[in-house]
Amino acid sequence: MAKITIDNQEIECRDGIPVLQAALEAGWDVPHYCYHPGLSVVASCRLCLMEMQLPHPKTREMGWAPKLFPSCQTPVKDGMVVRFDSGAVEQNQKACMEYFLLNHPLDCPVCDQAGECHLQDYSYKFGESESRMHDQKQVNPKKDIGPQTLLYSDRCVMCTRCVRFAEEVSGTEELCIVNRGGRAEIDIFPGIPLDNPMQGNVVDVCPVGALLDKDFLFKKRVWFLESGDSVCPGCSTGCAIRVDQSDNRVQRLKPRYNPGVNEWWMCDEGRFGWKYVHDVERVTRPRLRRGAEMETPAWESLGEIVRYRFEQQVDRHGAAKVAVLLSPMMACEEAWLLAKFVRELAPDATIATGFVPMVGEERCFPVGCNADDAKFVIRREKCPNGRGVELVAEHFGGSTCDFDGFVTKAGEGAFEAVWVVGGYSEEWVPKALATSLAKIEMLVVQDMFESALTGEAELVLPACAWVERDGSFVNHAGLIQPFERAINVPDGARRDGQYLFGLAGFEGLYSGARVRALMAEEMDAFREIAEAPRQPAHQH
Amino acid sequence: MIEEKDIINVDEPELTAGERLYLPQIAGGMRTTLRHMFKKKITVQYPEQKRELRTENYRGVHRLNRDEQGRVACVACFMCQTACPAHCIHIVGAESPWEDREKYPVQFDIDELRCIYCGMCEEACPVDAIELTPEYDLVGRTREEMIFDKEKLLMVFDRTKETKPRKNPKITGYSGTGCADEHTVTERGEAH
Repeated sequence: MAKITIDNQEIECRDGIPVLQAALEAGWDVPHYCYHPGLSVVASCRLCLMEMQLPHPKTREMGWAPKLFPSCQTPVKDGMVVRFDSGAVEQNQKACMEYFLLNHPLDCPVCDQAGECHLQDYSYKFGESESRMHDQKQVNPKKDIGPQTLLYSDRCVMCTRCVRFAEEVSGTEELCIVNRGGRAEIDIFPGIPLDNPMQGNVVDVCPVGALLDKDFLFKKRVWFLESGDSVCPGCSTGCAIRVDQSDNRVQRLKPRYNPGVNEWWMCDEGRFGWKYVHDVERVTRPRLRRGAEMETPAWESLGEIVRYRFEQQVDRHGAAKVAVLLSPMMACEEAWLLAKFVRELAPDATIATGFVPMVGEERCFPVGCNADDAKFVIRREKCPNGRGVELVAEHFGGSTCDFDGFVTKAGEGAFEAVWVVGGYSEEWVPKALATSLAKIEMLVVQDMFESALTGEAELVLPACAWVERDGSFVNHAGLIQPFERAINVPDGARRDGQYLFGLAGFEGLYSGARVRALMAEEMDAFREIAEAPRQPAHQH
Repeated sequence: MIEEKDIINVDEPELTAGERLYLPQIAGGMRTTLRHMFKKKITVQYPEQKRELRTENYRGVHRLNRDEQGRVACVACFMCQTACPAHCIHIVGAESPWEDREKYPVQFDIDELRCIYCGMCEEACPVDAIELTPEYDLVGRTREEMIFDKEKLLMVFDRTKETKPRKNPKITGYSGTGCADEHTVTERGEAH
């Protein structure tokens, strides 16, 4: 730890970090464009310049040096004295802002970045309300640089964050600077669009409205958005994300800073992979078979019916004929509640862990690096909580098996009463499973979309999308990460956690934290998280 | 927080002998009544008769202005929706089909029943596309009818442009994102 003095206040900070980073972490609001903690330092925007005390060349006496230093490029040193509140620093910020705004269009009302734009904020803080320029503004063209991204180069402030991102993090190097000086522009190479699995991040790192996401373009003004802190369910990496919603509809996903997991980034697969949440085909109501008819039971009476029917099966065929298939799309809490319910009814019931979709290979970024040096990995395991449901199954012990084992056993006719959980965005039921489960007496299917199984089921329960639930996922490395609910469930549905909470014999409202506290009493893995949930700090 | 020293107690003034008699006050009241009986009457027989209104600043039904080429002038910036205290404006923006503009509203609904006619939308509009008109006789049979969509609001403009012409402000267009045409820079002194 180094001790440095900023504006007469002594702070402690980590060794070797830039002064700017130390100041930002200690709560200073130092303006900056080009500096990003996840990218290399170029010190090109000159907004973060500071004054620093240096020894006088002759007298060796410490005094304020006559020139300003870029705080992003100056590493902290024990005993260092710097200041941001001096006239020279403020004058520099004003002068820089005037340059940034010289050619910048006044189109905030139609710019998607307005409201979360650093140029807008700093202009408000340091900028003049009138320009002194008499000449016409230089208008740079609007460019379509890739299938998902637009570049409005006249809004660009040439911080080169996007160029550095494509070089250092995605490693795909599609972006470059063309021309020089005041005519410099960001561009792609002819015929090579910005099209890599990480490209959405360039929109996030852009401090102004130059790079925009086509998916979110003109959809909403950002001040209408409300956010929930969530975890991406796209793969087992478990990126911390922010779900931005308005009017109960997801509008976009953004990464949250999450050290050691996804840092500042997320992949496009996760970023744009939420569309199924608003699919009209989703199962939103419970459906119960009574004789030949299917009817929609009231949520209130459901617990009793399910319990009664399962008890019947246990009486008729014995507890060993009962099985539950826990999906890796479930939160740990939901899996625990369901397993608890089933084991209470039938102590010999089999707990199986669900289908784990594996697609392609692990993709490491920057491209071409190996897994150890990777800054970001898109995993082939396309579910968020494989580890979590395994943990739950291990905890309950007894008769457990994996998905393949479950399919085999079901084929052999080992079960008569089965609760199957899906919740995948795509078709997942293998034919063999559908035919063998069609024959059994009692099949409960909890899924998001209709499948071969829902047609055969005695009871169909709606599974909600992860943005509608709260709980926790365990990522590939065993890290337990809680996520919040961002939007409400569709009309007629109820959160999975809520009805499972009732079934498992608890009263009142379900919340992830509440169930985690109960789990912590039995499971060591959840003790720490129940006491102090890991909440990564917001950081742009 | 109101402190004791800030409170001033004002006593009721004592009535004079004449005031306590009440009769002079009644006579005074009758005199005012009589005076008005012989004055020019200000009531009108609505709806047969209608009064002259100050067209410039009367806050009646909204309209969406058209630009010189007859297109909707709105750039779908959502400023009116943001400023609206009654949350009665609903806009869906999209990329505009025209070269000189970035965005335009594909849908623009105002719930005239929910509106409180405060005029904040007009204040907030950066291109003077939404304005309140002198039209006040707003009737409808259903609630749906009173939710004015883009076409209806443009029709209000067509109806009222004679009585209240559009000012056609110098700041127009938001031509592209560049705004390089000379209109944009001067007039209001906003220039970055």
